[in-house]
Amino acid sequence: MALLEIEGLSRHFGGVRAVSDLSFSVNEGEILGLIGPNGSGKTTVFNLVTGFIRPHAGAIRLDGHSIVGRRPHAVARRGIARTFQIVQPFPGLSALENVTLAAFLRHPVRQDAEAAATAELKRVGLAERLHEVASQLTLMDQKRLELAKALATRPRLLLLDEPMGGLNATEVDVASDLVAQVRASGVTIVLVEHVMKAIMRISDRVVVINQGEKIAEGLPAHVVEEPAVLAAYFGKRVA
Amino acid sequence: METLAQSLVSGVLTGALYAMIGIGLTVVFGVMRIINLAHGEMVMLGMFGAFWGHTLWKLDPFVSILVWAPLMFLAGMLLYRFLLRKIMPGGELNTLLYTAGLSLLIANLALFAWTGDYRTISLSYGMTPVRPLGIAIAIPLAVAFVLAILVTVALWLFLSRTNLGRAIRATSQSAEAAVLMGIDVERVAMVTFGLGTALAAAAGVLLAPSLYLYPTVGELLIVKCFVIVVLGGLGSVPGAIAGGILLGVVESLGAVYVSSTYKDGIGFVLFLAVLLYRPSGLFGTGK
Amino acid sequence: MTRRLLPALLGVAVLTAIPLTVRNSFFLHVCILVLMWTVLGAAWNVLGGFAGQVSFGHAALFAVGAYTTIILYLKGGLAPWWGIPLGGLAAALVSVPIGLLCFRLRGPYFALATLAVAEIVKLVALNWESVTAGSVGYLITTLPPVRLLGVAVNWEGKPPFFVTAALLAVVALLLTGWLRSSRLGAYLVAIRENEDAAEAVGIDTVRAKVLTLALSAFLAGMGGGFYAFYFRYVDPDAVAGIGLSMEMVFIAVVGGLGTVGGPLIGAVFLTAVAELVRDRFQMGHLIFYGLFMMLVIRFMPEGIWGRVRRLTTRVRAGA
Repeated sequence: MALLEIEGLSRHFGGVRAVSDLSFSVNEGEILGLIGPNGSGKTTVFNLVTGFIRPHAGAIRLDGHSIVGRRPHAVARRGIARTFQIVQPFPGLSALENVTLAAFLRHPVRQDAEAAATAELKRVGLAERLHEVASQLTLMDQKRLELAKALATRPRLLLLDEPMGGLNATEVDVASDLVAQVRASGVTIVLVEHVMKAIMRISDRVVVINQGEKIAEGLPAHVVEEPAVLAAYFGKRVA
Repeated sequence: METLAQSLVSGVLTGALYAMIGIGLTVVFGVMRIINLAHGEMVMLGMFGAFWGHTLWKLDPFVSILVWAPLMFLAGMLLYRFLLRKIMPGGELNTLLYTAGLSLLIANLALFAWTGDYRTISLSYGMTPVRPLGIAIAIPLAVAFVLAILVTVALWLFLSRTNLGRAIRATSQSAEAAVLMGIDVERVAMVTFGLGTALAAAAGVLLAPSLYLYPTVGELLIVKCFVIVVLGGLGSVPGAIAGGILLGVVESLGAVYVSSTYKDGIGFVLFLAVLLYRPSGLFGTGK
Repeated sequence: MTRRLLPALLGVAVLTAIPLTVRNSFFLHVCILVLMWTVLGAAWNVLGGFAGQVSFGHAALFAVGAYTTIILYLKGGLAPWWGIPLGGLAAALVSVPIGLLCFRLRGPYFALATLAVAEIVKLVALNWESVTAGSVGYLITTLPPVRLLGVAVNWEGKPPFFVTAALLAVVALLLTGWLRSSRLGAYLVAIRENEDAAEAVGIDTVRAKVLTLALSAFLAGMGGGFYAFYFRYVDPDAVAGIGLSMEMVFIAVVGGLGTVGGPLIGAVFLTAVAELVRDRFQMGHLIFYGLFMMLVIRFMPEGIWGRVRRLTTRVRAGA
């Protein structure tokens, strides 16, 4: 049984079908890449899985149990964490305070939470910035913070929404390594990304969606050569 | 059956005026994303302007609107330029609290100056209603209705045909894009606030002959206004019109068929019911 | 720790000294008012300052407390030390469905929803005559013939009320202080900073807000219960009007949102203004509340106490 199963998932906004009869699974311990052109519905999938919006049809199962209809905090409690495409820190608070708030989920006592938060911040490379205010951090550091917050909830499944956006080539490599390390520590990852270098480097499998529908699934090297995928990105003539 | 028709007609007539108040609030929100809690007081000032104009200078309210509307337009612009503009960077909650303070200030100054006695305006032609098709319609309300329609049409023309109107609509859709297009967003904001204030005051003038006037009426009106714009969607002018008429009709029917003492409460209950079943409002906003 | 402890001990010392030494009835009355307003300001501050949810309908919670307490006394002879907490409890219970409903909205929309709720409560109070006696209201003519530690309590004088009010104020401030350093308080900060992010890291935002509202309602309700016994008259205009809601907002904002001591400062300020205005103008104190609220938001949004703390921190850091 896969860790996360999505079956027949559908959601529309007014007349727009954001996600349409989408099905795929995520196996424990893997890094699954989720790619597709802009507006193909990737973030919507994340929002559906994490409970920020409700599906109009379909099933979402974690460890075989349905999580449809659960509010985001309950989904987090069950072990699914996410990062946002545009980072969402607690802007006026320090990095440590940011992550401590997340750590409270598993460590009700403040001291334990702070200790756990400090450990996560060290893990992502923010040991020097514990007391800096989140809104003052650089983009790369804010992304590290975003990751630390998610990790502090001790997720089994981590959904990363375009973490490489806005990073330069070196930063992308560093970030990719960080993601790989997180997986090595036992967290399953779904990675939405446009930066192909990262996807190719670290994904075990890739799912491609376009206009809310799955159009390909498989090993990274194979998927990027499929005609349907090329057509989606570059238009029919190239394919 | 006649009672039903009578209630419906009353409801629509009053509703149109509610709509006008709602348009003022919603237009300001659309452009500046602030909810002006003192909006009800603007209506009240219009009402009392009409009252004093009539009592002191024998001005017919429907004529005095020509005086009060431009005056309040100016007042609104000045209010924005010299008071509100400095507050807005502090965030929407601060702005809300500020307008709450303003509302308190204006209402109580009026209370202090004019006492809490209920006032009425009696017009010579307001005594006997006209009876088309057997439905009694008070003349002042009918005149108010017609004028409200005219004002709304004029507003629509302004927003869709003039450059300034288009600038307002643009800013309301995206302030950032508007700036990039070279629109003087500050000027637009100032004009919009003046417009909203003028609409509120004008509605007050039009309503004055048909209601009991008292300085703290703003408290009730702002809540009704909010019900309207939540029903219709904050920022939407057609929504405010629909919401206003809906509220007017619901209140009117409610007064006849449910209870007249709780008449005002009906709108609030409707509002809470909408919140329960359709948290994003009838037309999809609310967040 | 000592920084907080010293003023607190000082405050307690002053509070204990006053009823023992001061004989001037008017001065005691003013102190009682300040203490009552501190409780109400603290109640609003819990929701508005800590949770960042602006409510314009807190009078409704105050009213529930006032009516509960006065009805329990007049119909059931319940003494103040039962009646007042029960009033608080009633308000807290009523606040739960209100919160569950209104917290579907955020920011200004929430504020206006509370306004609607308050108007409904007022209408109910005016019209549900079998329970609330409508616009006639309830009047206490004889105060409870109770004994405390064997001594009959003389409710004709101010001291017993002073002690009660002081106890309530201390409870209110202690509760606020607890909230600030608790996990719930941290969650509230998170919600204020970024509600979606808070949900994403496992914070049950609805539960946090509803709990906070209940706490706020408890304090407001107890304030209402105290009001019922002290002023002995409860009717819809007195306890459910928007003026009262605005006064609560005023105290918290002017005193300092999100601080513990703010409501006390705000209460002192409000009472001072009210007394001064009453000397000159007889009424119209709300005019000044409105004006001062505008001035504070414009020039001192962190409130008087907030500004004081900022200055003293800077002084300490600079020195």
